[in-house]
Amino acid sequence: MSAYNMEKQKKIIVLCGGKFAFKTLQLLAYEKFISGIGIGNGSETITEALERETENSNIEFKSFPNQKSISEMKNWIESIQPDYIFCISFPFLIPESVLAYGTDKFINFHPAPLPQYRGAMPIFEVLKNQENETAICVHFMNTKFDEGPIIFNDTVLINPGDTYGKLTVRLSERMAQVALNVANMIQFASKIPSQPQDEMLSYYYEKPTLADTYINWKRMTGSQIIALINACNPWNTGADATLLGEQIKIISASLLHSKHNNQPGTIVSMTDTLNIACEDNQQIAIEILSTDQGIMTAQHFGSLKPI
Amino acid sequence: MQTIGILLPRSTYYETIGFDLYEGLRSGLKHLGRADIRIVSENIGFGADKQQCYRSAEKLLLEENVDLVIAYIGHRTAQLLRPLFLAANKMLIVLDAGANLPHEWSVCPNIFYHSLHNALGAWHIAKEAADNGYKNAGMVTGYYDGGYLHTYSICKSFEIAGGTICFNHATGYKAADFTMEPLINHLEQYPDSALLSLFSGDYVQWYFEGIKNLFENKNIPIYLPPFAFEETMLAKAVYPSNNIKGIAAWSKKIDTEVNTTFIETITEAGRIPNLFSLLSWESATIALKVLELTETHKKNATKIATDLQSFKFESPRGSIYFDSKTNISISPFYKATIIPTDDGMCEIQLEGEATDVFENYVKLTDEELNNSTSAWYNSYVCI
Repeated sequence: MSAYNMEKQKKIIVLCGGKFAFKTLQLLAYEKFISGIGIGNGSETITEALERETENSNIEFKSFPNQKSISEMKNWIESIQPDYIFCISFPFLIPESVLAYGTDKFINFHPAPLPQYRGAMPIFEVLKNQENETAICVHFMNTKFDEGPIIFNDTVLINPGDTYGKLTVRLSERMAQVALNVANMIQFASKIPSQPQDEMLSYYYEKPTLADTYINWKRMTGSQIIALINACNPWNTGADATLLGEQIKIISASLLHSKHNNQPGTIVSMTDTLNIACEDNQQIAIEILSTDQGIMTAQHFGSLKPI
Repeated sequence: MQTIGILLPRSTYYETIGFDLYEGLRSGLKHLGRADIRIVSENIGFGADKQQCYRSAEKLLLEENVDLVIAYIGHRTAQLLRPLFLAANKMLIVLDAGANLPHEWSVCPNIFYHSLHNALGAWHIAKEAADNGYKNAGMVTGYYDGGYLHTYSICKSFEIAGGTICFNHATGYKAADFTMEPLINHLEQYPDSALLSLFSGDYVQWYFEGIKNLFENKNIPIYLPPFAFEETMLAKAVYPSNNIKGIAAWSKKIDTEVNTTFIETITEAGRIPNLFSLLSWESATIALKVLELTETHKKNATKIATDLQSFKFESPRGSIYFDSKTNISISPFYKATIIPTDDGMCEIQLEGEATDVFENYVKLTDEELNNSTSAWYNSYVCI
């Protein structure tokens, strides 16, 4: 064995928000990098499942159900003495008192390019903005969300028709490899290069509200509407809209390159799909939607509403 | 002054691999009028020690401040180095034997692969065996060569073409354990089988000797991938039978002006041209393009990668371009047979350019590896 291999394996704590980090946890645990897992605000099922998994290993586990419980984090981290702390969608801001454990020891894995897509739900924003690619941004943490120096942005392509769900699953899988790469990096590197974020390029997106998920038929083009629908599927059960005076959510739809003479937001025709006029003389073909009566196909909706 | 870093491996049976890779790059740059570029090299052993690979790359980037790095490594090591090159915003040009297959063809703007495509060659020869009418085949390999996923490529391709892999024979890696005797039984049980063979370096010589000793004059059909057509090794291999064919990635016999220039230049530099000096000679052209694009696009990796994806150049083995889906270079293949020299050793006879190289590449890269994995970390032929 060479002298290089004699170096001790680095100890890593992963702070996560739930299922999105599972692939990463599995891979890092398999490679014996993980010494502790902290989960913030996770559902009981997920928290219990993780706790069970860690019971059979030498991995410490702690749940942080709310911001108040973060006060316990400092002692927990100090008791484990990790070399690094990885954060993957951890929902709470880590206070300065905890970050004081070590400069450049806290690394966040943000599921979108930084500094352009700061915020809690960037996967929604990149899809809504019709980006062709996104990234996993690895950066050192400071006392503000998503603002620490960037180590790198690792590009991930967005496929046509990607929904929030599809892209999230793909990012979760890619995240595992990126996290392993970074674990190897900290294991072997003598220095981790990083760059301060360019504030001129930065944008912080607040968590989306109804105003962000609502289809404005008069102002949005067909492709913008489709992008919004995909960006809302499945976490918001589709994009919010008003159709025939009723509040609905459109879960699945595609763009019809077909002209019309109708007002935006009105029904042009009903085939297998419900075809709605858009302001740019395009139509969208709704396949699945959610109404007060339940989730249904466009055909079913048509049979309930004589058009 | 512009500086190029190169990570050089070592190999027990290709003792000169590091020198060949270095000389190919140096001569290539000189031939292109850029002898002024400084080359800094770092040793990565057999390419299996992750820390050594990482630290060597780190040294080139952070201490030597090189403009780009060229490295004879595989996909797995390239993945290890990926965050470093992303963080440093520099380009890594991987010189890849192409013997292994990655589990995901994840593209990174900072990493481009320039490959000898052994697994793709294996895919071609298995298909050729099926096209030649063989319904049955056996995969013949060794402990070392069999550890790379060109094994998956060769078997999958034969099965897709309608054939059946009836037996596998993986022999030992020490001379005392290396035997072809089990093939006697296999071929009795499955006559009219093609031998889809995966060997490199000394093992090609041992394999041919085994075939000659056990099956002389039986002309059993043997199919070989590019690394088995490496000419410096073939020159030392005894001619075993006259039914050996396959795919060569390059040969001294390719009759073009570009190839003649390459051969003459490397020979004048005191080295024997081979696959390794070829690969790094070609990488000089890619490196100069990267340097040009780095200046044009002010180090914007995405823009550099986009332009490099459409870059095409003439090399000693023909036109080379990049597949934008995987950032891997695509180069011509040559159908080849093994013929005897006057003193009973082996040499290549080229039978023309292979067709459908890119189409087969797409098929290969579209294949799911399922649970096939390789435990070999080292760069192919570096043992």
